[in-house]
Amino acid sequence: MQLYQPARNLGYRQDITANFTKVYNVPKNVKNILRTSCYDCHSNYTNYPWYSNIQPARFLMESHIKEGKENLNFNEWGNYSSRKQKNKLDRIVKEIKSNEMPLASYTLIHKNAILSSSQKQEVMNWIEKTSDSLSSKY
Amino acid sequence: MKNIILSAIAVAITMVSCNQKNKQEETVNSETSKPETATVKVNPTSFSIKEIVTNYLSLKNALTKDDSNATADAGKALVETLGKIDMKKLSGEQMKTYMDIADDVKEHAEHIGDNAGNIAHQREHFVLMSKDINDLIKTFGTEQKLYQDFCPMADEGKGAIWISELKDIKNPYFGSEMLTCGSVRKEF
Repeated sequence: MQLYQPARNLGYRQDITANFTKVYNVPKNVKNILRTSCYDCHSNYTNYPWYSNIQPARFLMESHIKEGKENLNFNEWGNYSSRKQKNKLDRIVKEIKSNEMPLASYTLIHKNAILSSSQKQEVMNWIEKTSDSLSSKY
Repeated sequence: MKNIILSAIAVAITMVSCNQKNKQEETVNSETSKPETATVKVNPTSFSIKEIVTNYLSLKNALTKDDSNATADAGKALVETLGKIDMKKLSGEQMKTYMDIADDVKEHAEHIGDNAGNIAHQREHFVLMSKDINDLIKTFGTEQKLYQDFCPMADEGKGAIWISELKDIKNPYFGSEMLTCGSVRKEF
C-alpha cells in the first residue's frame, strides 16, 4: 500500500501565460494569501508536506487536489472563457465568505492557511473590484 | 544506507506514477468509446437550444418544489443533453458564443447534479445558470413562449432572474417559503 504513490502535482510543462497573476494585476498581499491558502489544491503546483509520502494521507491529498483543480485552477485561469472567469471570481468570494474554503480538513493541519477576517476582507474587496470592472464590459 | 532507501523509494514512486498515468489514459479511452445511448433529438435542419431549455425548465420546476433530488437528476440530464448538441450548423462566431455559454452551463449543471441534499448550494449555481440560459435564448431564440422573471431577494438580496414557461410566478429560489415572490420582467 505504501508503494502506491500517484503522480505528484508538480506542474512540469507549465503555460505561465494562463496564470491568474498574468491575467490580472494582483496586489502582492492578495497574491500571498492565495498562494498560502488556495494554491495547494487550486494550482498546478502543490507544496507537499512530509507525510505526503505516507498512505493513506497521499491518497486523500491527491483526490482533493484533483477535485480542487477541476473546479478552479489558478494556473489555467487564462484558458477560461470570460464568462467563466467572472463566475469563478464570484464563486471564490462566496466560498470565502461562507467559510467553506479553505477546507476545514486542510486548515486543521495547515494552520498558516487559515484566513483572518482582515485577510478575507482584503481578498474579497480586491476580487469584487475586479469582478465589477469585468461586468462593465458586457 | 539512508541514501539507498531514499533512492529505492524514488524509483518506486516513478514506476508507480508512470503506471498510474497509463491507467488513467486507458480509462479515459474506454469511456469515450462507449456507445452513446442517445435519447435527445436535435433538429437536423437548424440549430436549436430547445432541449437545453426543456432540461433547464424541469430543473427550475424541481427547485420550485424544494425537491433537491429531482433538481440533481435534472442537472445530470442537462449535462447529458449538452454533450449531445450538434454544433455543426453554427458559424464560427456563433459557435464561440455558444461554447462559451454552454461550457458554463455545463459546470453549473454538474455542481447541481452532484449536490443532491444541498438545495442552497444548488440554488447558488442556479442563479448563474439562469443568466446563461437567458443569454442563450437572447442569442439563439426560442419557439416556445418564455418569461424572464425576477426575484429581488434571491442571491443574498442582490436579486436574480430565472426563465419560466409559466406566466404565473413560481419562485425557484425560495420554493414553498415564498412561492409567488417575484415579477415578470421580460417576455421572449
